[in-house]
Amino acid sequence: MAIINVSHISKRFGETQAVNDLSFEVKPGEIFGLLGPNGAGKTTTIRMILDIFEPDSGEISVLGGSMNEEKKNHIGYLPEERGLYQDIPLERCLTFLATLKGMDEKKASAELREYMKQFDLYEYRDKKVKELSKGMQQKAQLITTLVHDPEIVIIDEPFTSLDPVNTEMVKDILEMKRDEGKAIIMSTHQMNQVEELCDRILLIDHGQRVLYGTLREIQNNFSSRDIMVTPLSTLPDSIGGVREIRKLNGRYRLVLEESSEPNKILKNLINLGVELIEFEIAVPPLNEIFIKVVKEQEGDKND
Amino acid sequence: MTKIWHIIKYEYRRHVFRKRFLFSLLSLPMAVIAMILVAILIGAFSVDTSPVGYIDYADVIHEPITIEEEGDIFNPIIPFTAYQDEDRAKNDLEAEEIQAYYVIPETYSDSLEIELFYLEEPGGDVQSQFTDLVRQNLLASEDLDPEVIQRLEEGSLITTTSLDGSREMREDQWYTIFTPFIAGIMFVVVVMTSGGYLLQAVVEEKENRTMEIVITSVTPTQLMTGKIIGNIGVGLTQLVIWLIFGWIGLRVGGHFWPFLQDFSISTDYILLLLAVMLPAFVMVSAFMAAIGSTMTEMREAQQVSGLISLPMMIPYYISSTIMMNPNGALVVILSYFPLTSPITILMRSAFTVVPAWELAINITILIAFAVFAIWFAGRAFRMGMLRYGKKLSIKEIFGKRIEK
Repeated sequence: MAIINVSHISKRFGETQAVNDLSFEVKPGEIFGLLGPNGAGKTTTIRMILDIFEPDSGEISVLGGSMNEEKKNHIGYLPEERGLYQDIPLERCLTFLATLKGMDEKKASAELREYMKQFDLYEYRDKKVKELSKGMQQKAQLITTLVHDPEIVIIDEPFTSLDPVNTEMVKDILEMKRDEGKAIIMSTHQMNQVEELCDRILLIDHGQRVLYGTLREIQNNFSSRDIMVTPLSTLPDSIGGVREIRKLNGRYRLVLEESSEPNKILKNLINLGVELIEFEIAVPPLNEIFIKVVKEQEGDKND
Repeated sequence: MTKIWHIIKYEYRRHVFRKRFLFSLLSLPMAVIAMILVAILIGAFSVDTSPVGYIDYADVIHEPITIEEEGDIFNPIIPFTAYQDEDRAKNDLEAEEIQAYYVIPETYSDSLEIELFYLEEPGGDVQSQFTDLVRQNLLASEDLDPEVIQRLEEGSLITTTSLDGSREMREDQWYTIFTPFIAGIMFVVVVMTSGGYLLQAVVEEKENRTMEIVITSVTPTQLMTGKIIGNIGVGLTQLVIWLIFGWIGLRVGGHFWPFLQDFSISTDYILLLLAVMLPAFVMVSAFMAAIGSTMTEMREAQQVSGLISLPMMIPYYISSTIMMNPNGALVVILSYFPLTSPITILMRSAFTVVPAWELAINITILIAFAVFAIWFAGRAFRMGMLRYGKKLSIKEIFGKRIEK
């Protein structure tokens, strides 16, 4: 059962068709990657889900129906345009924003202190927000997104300005939330993070759906018939079933003949007495898929 | 409802518990105190209390020291010294031992003329005190009932009453003129400062991008209602504190200047104040919020807000017209126009009897505009909230459909 169901939505701003007949769904207990090049319509889509904009046509169902005031309390949103009240102490700022999500002040305060400790912000709680570093403000904003334990978390570029330690921590938190059954929509350009975290992805371009499915399905669809191997010593010059051997930085890329299968190649390598450290089917990185698809789209547009 | 309450509380706290608020709170009483001090100092230094001489050829003044009142800092007692001949008086004047001298000629009873000689013209106090001295001596020489003398000395106190008996005005009720001025100034200052806070709050939320988080938590109406009520709370706090200051000032000042003890405001006038100020307050706040929603920078927003604050001050620029001709066409028109009406109504009502039906229409227009302003602000806000770099035109706000 989907927690967010987007069905054939379109949105136009003047001359620009920001979103065009877009459909997808997000399920509880998954991290859903919303990807696309700049200006693809990601933020507009998110704003329509959040009822900031109304779609010109199409339907959006959130938590089993259209958006209302009560449902806003069950959504955590980290917008692309970051912002906190600058002139007041951190704790007061976070408490106020938490109470706007329907938390009572006492509970909000207790939860916030826990989060601030986790994010190493506790000792800065009396400092004015504007006195905090960019990374700290980013963490504070993440707390605002999560403190009311929302059913749906929508985050736009959650890792910008975070150092590797904090990036790991945020990833852990997101995975924990997913395991608790929350639905997480993550929009980012950091494809390695998508590969690490996302269960399913939607790639949009020019407001339209380009790719949609589980990460594995999509990568399989784009996988070539290549195998990556790392031998202990060197590879023989020819291997049965292999059309071409390319050496890349200590590893080898084996391009298979039409009739060949990976299992057969593994057998052949063992028969040839090659000792292997690594043998894997070459899956194209998401980054490559992204660039390829977007470029194809551009080509289609220009034709 | 609880969310509105949280917004009210937040807005109130963020403005009231700040140094800036304390400064604006203290600025008016400080300015008043400073003005009083300056007045006292000017009074104290400008009045020359050196003696004034007189040569009484007509034999009018028998009891030289008859003024029994005690002088104060504004009206110091000036000693009068009798001289036998003009030469000696002239010498003393040149030696600056006296500031001036009067000569009452023998023909005084016929000519009623007195001559005054001076190097530098003495102030009004000298003239009036010498006139008193002569008058008292002349009265004393007639065989009159002491009560009649007293009445003649005190003069008359004219009370003007309106035909229907609803209004009275007495010469000694100085505060009937001051009340609308002071109330108006306080009102404008409070409305503009708290309106300014509201303007700032909205522009800041846009500038620092908090808006997007806020509107995914509450509705624009909740946000606007909370902000407007919160800021009116800030303004009222300021007003109440000033009233307390004023009350203490009158009490304390009353000990030194008895005329302050006469101060009073009628209940009717207080009700009128409230009926005019509350809708005007809501109207200005909402317009400020609307400006904040449509502008993208604080500086720009402040400039545009002048369109609201300047018309509000117009009645002050023409206050003499309002005082002299409170029922003139211009004044009546200003009392119907929502931005100028608050101050105009308060001033007009102090100087004339404004018919109840007219007040009712004025206040109804104000309330209607307050409601319109809230609607306008809500609409401007909904359309302008996520526009970071682009201004919103008035035409767009009045457009048929909200581009949501």
